[in-house]
Parts: sequence; structure tokens; C-alpha cells
Amino acid sequence: MLDFKLAQPQQEAQQDADSGPDNQVYDLIIIGGGPAGLTAAIYAGRARVKTLLLTGSLPGGQTANTDIVENYPGFPAGIEGPELAQKFQEQAGRFGAQIVVDNVTEVNFSTRPFTVLTHGTAYQAQTVIVAAGAEPRRLGVPGEEKFFGRGVSACATCDGFFYRDKRVVVVGGGDSAITEAIFLTRFASEVIVIHRRDELRATKINREHALANPKIRFVWDSVVEEILGEQTVNSVRVRNVKTGGTSVIETDGVFLYVGMKPVTELFAGQLELNEQGYIVSDQRQRTNMPGVFVAGDVQDPLYRQVVIAAGSGAVAAIEAERFLEQHSQP
Amino acid sequence: MSLLNEEIREQVKQELADLAGPVKMAMFTQEFECQFCAETRQLAEEVAELSDQITVEVYDFVADEEKAEELSIDKIPAIAVIGAEDYGVRYYGIPSGYEFSSLLHAIKMVAAGKPELSEDTLEVLTGLDEPVHFQVFVTPTCPYCPQSVILAHQMAVASPMVRADMVEAQEFPHLSQKYQVMGVPRTVINETAHLEGAAPEAMVLEKLQEALA
Repeated sequence: MLDFKLAQPQQEAQQDADSGPDNQVYDLIIIGGGPAGLTAAIYAGRARVKTLLLTGSLPGGQTANTDIVENYPGFPAGIEGPELAQKFQEQAGRFGAQIVVDNVTEVNFSTRPFTVLTHGTAYQAQTVIVAAGAEPRRLGVPGEEKFFGRGVSACATCDGFFYRDKRVVVVGGGDSAITEAIFLTRFASEVIVIHRRDELRATKINREHALANPKIRFVWDSVVEEILGEQTVNSVRVRNVKTGGTSVIETDGVFLYVGMKPVTELFAGQLELNEQGYIVSDQRQRTNMPGVFVAGDVQDPLYRQVVIAAGSGAVAAIEAERFLEQHSQP
Repeated sequence: MSLLNEEIREQVKQELADLAGPVKMAMFTQEFECQFCAETRQLAEEVAELSDQITVEVYDFVADEEKAEELSIDKIPAIAVIGAEDYGVRYYGIPSGYEFSSLLHAIKMVAAGKPELSEDTLEVLTGLDEPVHFQVFVTPTCPYCPQSVILAHQMAVASPMVRADMVEAQEFPHLSQKYQVMGVPRTVINETAHLEGAAPEAMVLEKLQEALA
């Protein structure tokens, strides 16, 4: 079944000759193009705040990498993640936000206007909303880096095809791990889920499906210590956390779903982070730096829902607008 | 039955509404159409219907050997996306799923003939004195892949020395095997250098220079 997605944002907006990005100060720069950033852009645009949104490498954020979203209000039949992301983008564009597909490489929040750099361009703005989201956590074990793209993957929908009739390992026990393990049974001959506890964290319906699937086998109470291979992966070394014993499990691929971590390296030293690396904010989405606000998964270790990210994006935009009003020159 | 539904057609029509110039899609298939050849041809024709700036020419890979050679087409299904000149922008395999967005982007880009790249990148690309060939392996279900494809295509538009192919890994298993593709996007530069994942522009540029060194 063929489908056709229009998930890339339209880029005409940035081509305006009189609004070259180098030589003007925006009212607001939003870092991140997921539901939080795009909702902030919708609100800011409607408030006539001159807004630039830098999407990062996956426009639409994690939503664009989600098969179907069934719990965003207004779509009773569910909606495909990429389509929802596209609708957010359309709506943000309609209210005038300028959307640019680029990665932020550096920020300087020490003086206002703040500076946000991508490789190649320096942008300036009176306020910033950080909505940089979260990315898949890595294991940090030997072999992981070496075999990335050669047997190690964090995207089953991207790479599942390469494991037709092969054996794969999924590391993790949450909802992502389990839904992707079930997805991988379409291709792989056997899917081995390695989980560090003796029960799954995933929601009941996912657990039931996985436990009933004859292609899925579980290795409980175990962590991956090393990924082994020659040119490509051929096995993983696993340690049982209860007995301390190690064993080697043969596999052609390793899919990692060991949770998410906030994308905050760029902001360390300039914004207050908590012990887990999330940006600290108050109820009004303010950070420790006046004029810098935060929204979405980059500050949310608890819920990580599209609707909640969108809600915090709206709050951040409203607060940024107030800040601009209070700090504008008469 | 059409491949693009009414809603998508409407959006594509809007997106292609103000193309900066004419675009030709040279599509290669053969008499006994390969897997996805028929769909790729149909897709090209349906997209062309949505803008009066776009035309499609359908060639037979065997019978039109000369044309294939002229455009360096070496496998099918193939689409060469050509603007005022042939910048070397190619699609091998059907641009469905997420790659449909990169096809629309490629059309707009060759129409304008202007890549959206940084000054540093443009400087390196205009100074090239040997050919560079990008092969970006993708699957249609990979949301990170269009970024890599678009970047390679932009570099092709920026320099006559650069050509850039999207290669749909599932349709060309022998190539996937040859280049050891087990994850996408995987960008192969001049057979020698390769990059895993959707790397930013600066990193791709670095790899390109590494491939030439």
C-alpha cells in the first residue's frame, strides 16, 4: 500500500528579500518544530509577534515519527503522526511564523537580544522559547557507536525492512519498545526483548499483545553490556542483574528503546537544568533567564504527550508576548 | 485509480503554485514494467497534472538507451528532475511515503535553480574540480530520510560537478547489499565515504571533503 506524505514544512517564508535572517532582531525565536514549538508559533503569530521557528532535524518532532496518534482531541478516529505535524505547521505558517529547517548549534543568552546560531547563520531575538524536545537515549556500551547503522538502530519503521527473516533484539520494556517489537515481527523471524526488570512497563494492551505473540521471546532482568560483531552486528553480551551471570545472544540487529532524554546539552551553563538534564521552569514556563521560556518534552520528564507539549507551548508564547510588552521601549 | 487522493492533490497544487520556472521529469521504465515502475510513472504524471509548469517525458530504459546514457540513468524506475538545466537530481525507486515531500522539494528547487546552502558549503562546492556522486539510501517509512536526500540534491543544484541520487533501498536490494545498508538514511559519497543518519550540512560537507582527499 503506497502512501504519500507532505511532512516537510514549506520554506517560501524565509526567502523574503527584506527580512534576511542575518540583519534583524526577531521578537521571538522558537527552537524546535514539534507540537510545543509549533503551538507556540501559532499563538505568537496570532499575537503579531515577529517569530522565527528553527525546526531541528526532524520537522514535526517525535510526532512525525509516530505511526498514529489516537489521543489528541479533535480527531476521534485518530490521526497519523506526520499528518498531525503537517497540520500544526500549516496553522503556524498561516499566522505568519517564519519556519526554517535548521539545527541550532549554539546559543548565547547572556545579553539581550539573545543570539541563536545555526551552522552558517546568527539570528537574534528579544525572547526565546526552547522547545528542543527529547531524543532516544543510547545505552552507552561498547559497540553501540561502531555499529550504528550497521545493525544498531533506533528507528524500527525506518530499518525494519532490512531484517526480513532475521533475528533481532529489542532493548527496553516501555511502550515504544513493545510496539516496535510487535512491528518488527512483520519482518523478523524472531524478536527478542531484553528488559532489565521482570515485568514490562508498557500499557496493558501492549503487554498482552506482546506476550501473546509467538515470534516474541523475552529475556528478563537483563542488561546489554556489549554489542559484538565484525562488519555488522552478530550478537550481544547480556548480564542478568539478579544473578550477575553473563551470556551471549546471537542477533542480526539491535533496536534501542531505552527511553528518551531531553535535548539540553546546548543550554547547559546558561539555563538551569535538573539532575536528569531537563530544563527547570515555573508554572508560567519561565526559565531562570528572564526572556527565555521553555515548552514541551525538553522540560517534561513525566507526561510526554502531544497535547501537553502543545499546552505548554501556548503558555510559553503567551508569557513571551507579555514579556515583550513589558520590556518594549516606549 | 489515482495514487494521490483529493486532499493531497489540493495541497500539492498549492505547494507548486508559484514555481520559479519550468520543470521536466524524465521518467524511465520499460515495456514489461518493473516492480513499482508503473506506479512511479503514474505518480510523475499525477504530479505534473497539478502544475502547468511541470511536464513528464516517459522513456523506455531499453529502447531509449541513448537518452538513458545522456542522463546517466543506470537502473529503473528512475526520475530525473530537470530545471533550466540538468543539475543531476535523480530518484531511483518510487518517491512514496516521506520521500514524496522530498520530490516536491526537488521540483521547487530545480525550478528556482538556487540551493539553500550556507556560504561555506557553496564555496567548497563551486571550487570542486572532480566529480562527486551522492547515493542516499532511504526507505519510504523513514521520517529522517528526506532531510538527507534534500541536502544531497541541493549540493547537486549548487555544482555541476555533483550529482545526487535518492535510492529506495527495498527496490534495489543488490545495491543495499553492495553498500551494506542496514539502516537509513545512509549516504554514500563517491563509493568511498559514507554517513549514517540525517547528518547536518556541515558534517556532510566534511565527509565530502574526506571522500575527495
